[in-house]
Amino acid sequence: MDLALTESQEMLRSTARSFMEREAPVDVIVGLQKVESSLAPDLWKKAAQLGWLGIVVPTEYGGSGDQLSDAAVLYEEIGRGPLPGPFFSSGVLGALTVLEGATEEQRRRILPRVASGERVLTVAITEPNTSWGPVGVTLAPQGRNGSYVLNGTKLFVADATSATDLVVAVRTGDGPTDVSLLHVDARARGVTARRLPGFVSWQCEVTFDNVEVPATALLGGAQRGWAALDRALERALPLLCAYIVGGCQAVYEKSVAYAQSRVQFGVPIGRFQRVQDHVIRLVNHLDSARWATWEALWKLDTGRPAAASVHMAKAVASEAYLEACNAAHEVHAGMGVLVEYGLAAHTQMSRTLFHYLGDPRWHKRRMADALEW
Amino acid sequence: MDFEVTYTEEQQRFRSEVRAWLEANVPAAVQRTPTSPEDNYQRYLELRALGRKLGGKGWLYPTAPAKYGGGGLDVDHAIILEEEVDRFDLSLPPYYDSGGRLGSASILVWGTEEQRQAFLPPIYRGEVRTWQLLTEPGAGSDLAGVRMTTAVRDGEDYVIKGQKIFVGSDNGADRIWLIVCTAPNGRRHENLSWFMIDANLPGISMQPMELMGTGGEGGTDSGVKQTVFFDDVRVPAFALVGGENKGWTVATTHLELEHGGGGRIGRNRVWDRLLRYCQETKRDGVPLSQQPDVRDSLADIYIKTEITRLFGLRNFYLTYARKPKSYEGPQLSYYRKTAGLWMTGAILEAVGPAALTTDPTWGSSAGFLETQQRNGIVSVHPGGTTDIQRVQMARRIGIGRSTREKAGTVHGAEA
Repeated sequence: MDLALTESQEMLRSTARSFMEREAPVDVIVGLQKVESSLAPDLWKKAAQLGWLGIVVPTEYGGSGDQLSDAAVLYEEIGRGPLPGPFFSSGVLGALTVLEGATEEQRRRILPRVASGERVLTVAITEPNTSWGPVGVTLAPQGRNGSYVLNGTKLFVADATSATDLVVAVRTGDGPTDVSLLHVDARARGVTARRLPGFVSWQCEVTFDNVEVPATALLGGAQRGWAALDRALERALPLLCAYIVGGCQAVYEKSVAYAQSRVQFGVPIGRFQRVQDHVIRLVNHLDSARWATWEALWKLDTGRPAAASVHMAKAVASEAYLEACNAAHEVHAGMGVLVEYGLAAHTQMSRTLFHYLGDPRWHKRRMADALEW
Repeated sequence: MDFEVTYTEEQQRFRSEVRAWLEANVPAAVQRTPTSPEDNYQRYLELRALGRKLGGKGWLYPTAPAKYGGGGLDVDHAIILEEEVDRFDLSLPPYYDSGGRLGSASILVWGTEEQRQAFLPPIYRGEVRTWQLLTEPGAGSDLAGVRMTTAVRDGEDYVIKGQKIFVGSDNGADRIWLIVCTAPNGRRHENLSWFMIDANLPGISMQPMELMGTGGEGGTDSGVKQTVFFDDVRVPAFALVGGENKGWTVATTHLELEHGGGGRIGRNRVWDRLLRYCQETKRDGVPLSQQPDVRDSLADIYIKTEITRLFGLRNFYLTYARKPKSYEGPQLSYYRKTAGLWMTGAILEAVGPAALTTDPTWGSSAGFLETQQRNGIVSVHPGGTTDIQRVQMARRIGIGRSTREKAGTVHGAEA
């Protein structure tokens, strides 16, 4: 038993943290919030040079093929920002979906350019029905001259406005999991990506208007898409959870520092037990998310059955981030809602990730199924 | 990270040895719910006999130093023992021994060499059962406010007088580990002292308290408590541990462990039985576990037990890897207690009124759900209320006071 980070993980953490402090301090994060695309080109290039985009891509496809728990150390640091940008969408979920679903030739063609940051992937799953299960995939391509033609809408697609390539889950049969994956050029004629306005972080609407994609765009085999996506999600979700843990950690540190320094009634407000209660609620959520996430990562990295732990981690982490931000707002009062302070970016992200790839209730139900109750 | 101990071949052999030994030596039906006061006492005697046998092998306090009669085993072997004992729904020690667990740890850190040699071997070998005595009618959460029970030096002895409440379990004790006031006019935190004394001295008497909880010898918790009276009880000065009026310093070790700092590994026994109950019990022809609303409740309950397990595992690791701790001990205690209290409502909602009865036909097996309905509430206060745990957390996080407070030392306990 060893619940500490390894030496190389500690090194990665310290490199990532100084990168984040240098390249993505609060004012940069706040400045990015209103931009249509979540991808900041300079920062993206530098991160790519550090190998961040190929961290889970196997070496034979141009990545560094690190363990998920190594990647989790990185994602905790990115999440502290919270640094937006399709790090997770492209470097994790996109890459793993191609890895799990594509043919060998497709992997060799797509993955090295994802690992280098040259191409930016995102996976389009849910639709106006906002389901994260296979039945919710209803967008059905028509066949025309051996090609697929897409007409319809994918919704809550993360970072679609910065993506160069879409992996689109489409319905290709009547069985519940008769889903296939199409690799679509995000800049192709008829494809429109639009960042959804409101209290949501770079979740997009993607519309397809007579978009014709060649038969070779089918990743792997027909009807195998959901199984591939399921395998990819099992490995990707804990890294999204790690991003959330980093977010919770940052929110916690902000709240402790504020409780120590803000003086009212002649004393730091942390001296008040009502304020302490908010901080304690926050740290309990933080640690719940952290340990649920890390146990899931450990199970995946050691080849143990991990489905139930992964679902639990996403349920716990989603709830934790939302509650952590709520608690932080109670500590910070007016200061917390000043956009320039930086807490609001977390709060908006916590709401965004609450639902993204399945909300807590959905994952708890999948957990119960995985445990075979 | 590695959430599991990797066992060597030698350790695997040790596990087989432990398993075979336990199968041969754990009395049949020792986990039973006693049917009468006589049966309750009989069961206690069986547990004590098992404790002595375990103690003889150094397995009762596996990580305690061998030179004082402990097992002298490393943490991996201790985990194997805990896991194997857990398979029998037992803990180490298999009976309520709060003063043994916490007193021995405190004596290891703060006692003299002579005191360690005198007090520790009988505890580690299971020859004595020891209760801790802290709470008084006027000092509960505010332990530093202990005043009612006093000890006054008289020649080579101290004379103890006063009253302690919420003590022990049932079936009596051999030793008493208690904190008393030794300087009634002294300054707060500089007026307390700890004693390890014989429980059967003249002048000590006990009277059971009737509590809402149930269960007597469950391991770390107990639903039966006593009021203990001290009427000019004469004890040798040798029984004073850690120095006169140094009791608050000793208490930091005791309280750190009591507040969950030592961590815990093991299953949640209520959860296993709850799931089985829901799989076997039907409502409207459908097992409870297949009803969507019950399933949702079960998922929430399961997650609370999992987070409690993970916090316990983390604290266990931090303790035995000798890593620095901050708020983690009281966090585990707070989380476990609030989860247990919340669970009483969640289980009642999931299962319905059958959770409330011990009736053998209409209730759960051996009334385990009814026990949870009571003990989930009772367990909120022993070892410090949830509010006290939050006060501790806040101080250690560094917001409760002007200086950040450190966790009490627990080392020595596993040296």
